[in-house]
Amino acid sequence: MWTRFKRDRTGVISACVVIAFFAIAALAPVISALYGKDPYTQYGLEQEGLLDPFGLPAGANGGISVDFWFGVEPTLGRDVFILLVYGMRTSLFTALAVAVPMVVTGIIIGLVGGYMGGKVDYWLGRLTDFMMALPSQLTLIATMPVVVAVFVSPNEETPTYIRTCAIIIVLWVLGWMSMARLVRSQVLTLREREFVEAAKVAGMPPWRIVRKELLPNLFTPILVQATYMLPSAILSIAFLSFVGVGYVEPTPSWGRMFVTAAENYEANPTFMFFPGIAMVIFVVAFNLLGDSVRDAFDPKSGR
Amino acid sequence: MKLNRSRRLRGAVIGLAAGALVLTGCSEGSDVGSDAGASEADAAAQSKPVTYGDEAASKGPAPEVKGAKKGGMIRVFEEADFGHLDPGQIYVSNSGQLASLIHRGLTMFKEDEKGNKKVVGDLATDSGTKSDGGKTWKYTLKDGIKDEDGDPITSEDIRHSVERLYSEVIFDGPVYLQQWLSGGGSSYRKALPDGPYKGDHLPDDVLETPDDKTVIFHFDKPRPDVPQALTLPGYSVVPKEDDTKKKYDQKPKSTGPYKIGEYTPDKSMKLVKNKHWDPKTDPYRHQYVDGFNITFNHKDADQTERLLADRGAAKNGVQLAGHVASSKTKKVMQEAKNRTIQGYQPYVWQMNMNMDRIKDKKVRDAITYALPNKQILTPDGGTFGGAVAPNLLAPTLPGHEKDYDPYGKLKNPNGQPEKAKKLLEKAGKKGMKLLYATSDEPVRQDQAAIIEKALSDAGFDVQKKVINGATWYEQLGKVDNGFDIYMTGWGQDWPSPSTVIPPSYDGDQIQDGASNYSHIDDKHVDKEIDRISEIVDPKKAVKEWQKLHKYILEEVNPAAPLYYTKSLQMHGSNVGGARYSTTKSYIDLTRLYLKK
Repeated sequence: MWTRFKRDRTGVISACVVIAFFAIAALAPVISALYGKDPYTQYGLEQEGLLDPFGLPAGANGGISVDFWFGVEPTLGRDVFILLVYGMRTSLFTALAVAVPMVVTGIIIGLVGGYMGGKVDYWLGRLTDFMMALPSQLTLIATMPVVVAVFVSPNEETPTYIRTCAIIIVLWVLGWMSMARLVRSQVLTLREREFVEAAKVAGMPPWRIVRKELLPNLFTPILVQATYMLPSAILSIAFLSFVGVGYVEPTPSWGRMFVTAAENYEANPTFMFFPGIAMVIFVVAFNLLGDSVRDAFDPKSGR
Repeated sequence: MKLNRSRRLRGAVIGLAAGALVLTGCSEGSDVGSDAGASEADAAAQSKPVTYGDEAASKGPAPEVKGAKKGGMIRVFEEADFGHLDPGQIYVSNSGQLASLIHRGLTMFKEDEKGNKKVVGDLATDSGTKSDGGKTWKYTLKDGIKDEDGDPITSEDIRHSVERLYSEVIFDGPVYLQQWLSGGGSSYRKALPDGPYKGDHLPDDVLETPDDKTVIFHFDKPRPDVPQALTLPGYSVVPKEDDTKKKYDQKPKSTGPYKIGEYTPDKSMKLVKNKHWDPKTDPYRHQYVDGFNITFNHKDADQTERLLADRGAAKNGVQLAGHVASSKTKKVMQEAKNRTIQGYQPYVWQMNMNMDRIKDKKVRDAITYALPNKQILTPDGGTFGGAVAPNLLAPTLPGHEKDYDPYGKLKNPNGQPEKAKKLLEKAGKKGMKLLYATSDEPVRQDQAAIIEKALSDAGFDVQKKVINGATWYEQLGKVDNGFDIYMTGWGQDWPSPSTVIPPSYDGDQIQDGASNYSHIDDKHVDKEIDRISEIVDPKKAVKEWQKLHKYILEEVNPAAPLYYTKSLQMHGSNVGGARYSTTKSYIDLTRLYLKK
């Protein structure tokens, strides 16, 4: 399987890209130290001449220079490069923290429903249907402030970790259904197969059947589905910050960068370029990686 | 299969990158500091003392606007529907702009090209005759003034318009006149709880209407500002026969040059000519265009975009109370500078320090020194959106001193964090927790990021709370609002410090919903306010207000001055006669015409 994956050039390249993104995100403080700038200092406001009287970068192409590799942010004057790096950190780590519980919940509910069948399956199925029926983006916007308000006393600032937890909880609760349905359908076909029947006849306890007989056969679809869920989680997180219920200033995040970019796209198109390209590359690379991984697992499924 | 796919993919990525490079190529740099919006010199004209006009100055018709033509409809793009149409409820912003076209009061402001302002009679023959040392003001109505049905306006209607302000029907408009006539706070309502609706009236020793043409106000103290107060749209006339109480707010009767033709709330409004308006009675307004087509739900960015494109109906377009979106200011100034209208607004943004919670003046001084005014101004439009404020009196006020800078804000527009740190250490409050309330509007969020950082650098532990912008003033107006610092803006109602210092700094005014946001309650200030309010000579009063302003800022320091705001609006290329109104602080709608 590994050799098959190595032969797939697209897969290898996209794997490298994905790993690079995670490395950059993990090493953000190191990059910040080497680069000599942090994502909170408002350079444009502290140094004369970086921003013009309109609050736009004074230099050409969004103020790209030797000191500011990706230019200067309009209005607040922070460094775009380091903002992007830290924004990547925020997005990737939150997305990871969202995707993992989503996948685990989906697997558990799908497995239990599929294997137990009967009433349990019926009720779990209805729960899944119900959650799927919720208009997810509207529910996100409506529930985020509520979740935040539950955790914070009114005379203290909402700490960033609470916002993070709220984002994770909300996205998790609204995002596990597709995985659960997929796993359930796979389990339904598997549980009638001879090797499962044989295990049952041999007196294997159900938990052992699930672990030893079912899960290994489910690995491929789960992995593929998970590699689709992570990029979509990144997009959802950015969406939340974009509409103002996710991360707020001064936390660096891709969503906030898109807000600034959308306000200034006409006067300063350069700013849209960097977060936009970074996100497109990451999402495309991750999806391609998922494709390649599936191909590698199952050579017969090639198109 | 794989090779093929990856090659196609690579092509797509390169195409994308190339496209982006082409895009970036369009974004040029710009010179720093080439233009800075309205200047202090413009403001100087705005802060010229007001003069009171006599009968000759109050006569119509208004002097012709050079090159003006008749006909055509002006197109108005506006963000939100008018808050009120009933004049008694109207205070500011877009309703105030509309009021200048459809409502008339006893007096009005007349401006000339240079920004000189004169109070003249509008429905009255002059700006008012005072006697008894300013305690009594007498007005005589002009001949030939009618409402949109052609019914003449009499002194009965004026009495009715004043008395209805006492009833529950009116809750949003200005309260100066009522308080002066019948007592401060909301106690004036007790004088006439049901207004005129149940047959009760104000006694003759308060409001006298001896005949059809004469109105006399009696005050218990000298009230030198009566003519200016009466220019507020809130004191416009409501004809007695047509008053429908609460319903009047949807369908008012017009007395001005235009009346409401069609109106779909939250969607559109059409103003058409009021044929019963007689130009000979009006000293300032014109009726050049046939009407105004107003549509709502255009955000500032949308308005700017349409007017900048200057196509079709937008050629005849104006902004009513909207402004050029700050992200598009640069483009507008580069491409359509001759279609912009600029001027200082009367607003001062200040950082209020809740004096119930921050009792140590050293801490308040530390906050004041720490705040970087110029940086805070940047998200609100930079030099086109305002100017760094060294003190609390706006450039549009008589008594404004542009060099009075007790906290070194002009020399150090980015604050003095070191000085702030030392002061805070001296007060023994290093690392003090500071509850900072900010609104969730994008501009305020950007400002909050700047303020939070500056105060943290000065050694405060800033706790930021984000509040919904729609309920901002309501939440902060509560005496027990629970916050330490918060930004508010206040502007004069007419060009006199008496509409700024008493509402904002009078300790007697502290109550839920009042505008004394810093809760300053200083005996000396209260006493001085009572004393100066009665000085009849405007020049002398201004001097005394200046002294009191210095005491407030230096000895008490309840609020750190942040910045003065400027207005930047634009109009279509076919609109003529556009001028900034220094009293409305928006475009002057009463003199617009279409070039064709």
